[in-house]
Amino acid sequence: MSIVPQSSPHGFRAGAREGFVVFLPISVGLVPWALVMGMAMVGAGFTPVQAMGMNLIVFAGTAQLGTLPLIAAAAPLWLIVVTALALNLRFVIFSAAIAPGFRGIGTPKRWLAGHLLTDGVFATCLDKMMHVDDPPWRLGYYLAPAVWSWLLWQFFTLAGIFAAGYIPKQWSLEFMATIALIVLLVPLARARPMLVAAIVAGGSATLLRGMPLRLGIVVAICAGIAAGFAAEHREHQERRS
Amino acid sequence: MSYDASLWLTFILIGLATTLPRAGFIVLGNRVALPPVLQRALRYAPAAALAAIIVPDVLVTAGDLEIFSPKLAATAAAIAAALWSRNPWLPFIAGMGVLLGLRQLLGA
Repeated sequence: MSIVPQSSPHGFRAGAREGFVVFLPISVGLVPWALVMGMAMVGAGFTPVQAMGMNLIVFAGTAQLGTLPLIAAAAPLWLIVVTALALNLRFVIFSAAIAPGFRGIGTPKRWLAGHLLTDGVFATCLDKMMHVDDPPWRLGYYLAPAVWSWLLWQFFTLAGIFAAGYIPKQWSLEFMATIALIVLLVPLARARPMLVAAIVAGGSATLLRGMPLRLGIVVAICAGIAAGFAAEHREHQERRS
Repeated sequence: MSYDASLWLTFILIGLATTLPRAGFIVLGNRVALPPVLQRALRYAPAAALAAIIVPDVLVTAGDLEIFSPKLAATAAAIAAALWSRNPWLPFIAGMGVLLGLRQLLGA
């Protein structure tokens, strides 16, 4: 069932060039994020080496920003890991969706591609990865935006780490991290079941904040998922009746 | 374990919790598939997790529920900026502007 275009594009370089051109304007959105990430890590009390270490080991804006308040509050390790997993779950779905695009590509390159998967790269590459035949072209089309994102992210996080030193403490830089999380949540919560999930999870987490080991967050996430699922189910029924 | 060592351990575990979900299906290819019901339920996990972190951050100050605060106004400004503009800087400028401006006014 594969659709082969008349002049099928081929070659790693051609793919990389095309992917980079498509992705370049989108990638500008990473800059404020990376700056905030750098400042937030310093705000959480990390040294520049610790901050860059986290940035190199964990390549994930949301999981990094989301776990910072927990790390700063000395929450138990398992809770930090569970929260990071919850924040990364959408990538299980992205990964499953884009996996057929890696047909004919070896396992080490797949690991690299997986490590570098981001929302922006997924959105940019999914369609072409499905419809172009030549594996080197596909790999180039994927890796050029992915590696470019990685470079931008590392560079501007480092800039944020150094900028943080020049900003007075009473400016409450840690609130920048909260705003960054809000910016991520807003487009998600446009769909009604998502909004329900967010409200239930947020409300529960606030009410349950006294639970030991910050267990309230895990309970709140589960409650949010259940509420979102129920709201989606109700929407389907309303449409049918 | 020292604070520094436990911090690096934390980073490595968060790193695993980040790379494994992303690389999993890409590395395994078409050998496994996620059940559709689970896929649909998992879609709500990011929104739920984000809200579970944000809402207490905004509504709780020093351990006490304090709904009307400069943080709430700053949150509203950031949400409005994110809704009505595609400029990636604006939510940060609006949110921090309102937070710092109100704190200045209230003398806190």
